[in-house]
Amino acid sequence: MKTKQTKGPFQKVDERTKGLALRVIAVMYILTILSMQGIVLIRQLALGQEIERFEDIAVLMVVNTIFLITGFLYYGVIPVRKLKISNILFIYLSIVIIGSIFTYVKYNVVMDLGLSIRQIFDKVIIVIAVTGLMLLFFILFYLLGKRKMEKELEE
Amino acid sequence: MSNVKMKLARVEKNLSQQDLADLCEVTRQTIGLIEKGKYNPTLNLCIRISKVLDKTLNDLFWDENETN
Repeated sequence: MKTKQTKGPFQKVDERTKGLALRVIAVMYILTILSMQGIVLIRQLALGQEIERFEDIAVLMVVNTIFLITGFLYYGVIPVRKLKISNILFIYLSIVIIGSIFTYVKYNVVMDLGLSIRQIFDKVIIVIAVTGLMLLFFILFYLLGKRKMEKELEE
Repeated sequence: MSNVKMKLARVEKNLSQQDLADLCEVTRQTIGLIEKGKYNPTLNLCIRISKVLDKTLNDLFWDENETN
């Protein structure tokens, strides 16, 4: 039985060593993302810095996390048995509610700016739009991954 | 649980752990850990080891006592 050779940096690496290397890489990746999250929170809440001063880190972290979740969905790491509208709505609303609470706490409790509901809503609208786009992106890649897997199984 | 069958098959073939490792394109540590039962090889590696040692998968990796 001829087996398919793995391409990439691990082509000539022993399977056990490769497994260990991938585990270390995964742990380091998670630590990096968590550290970046910590840096963003400290700069934002403890140091009270403006978003412009750490925008690059925040964007990098968000994009990284979105790609990670997309990759998980595409390759079936996150088991999704069936896409249900109710589940998608639940996830969407949960993220929007948590995002809204975070925005309110950030501006009116931590930074004590005393913003009105209207002003808070102007900021929350970004959370609502971005969350929607993000979920659509996830669903699209989940469906593409599913189609790819079904094609491979048919071959 | 250590894999005595694999170790015996290797010794029968007069191969050292390093020889078997070279023939299977893995490290000596991997062979050592498989023999000690501390690493579960993939099916592909099991097949490679079986071919090199001229044994079947059952001969090397099937344990009647453990499965019954």
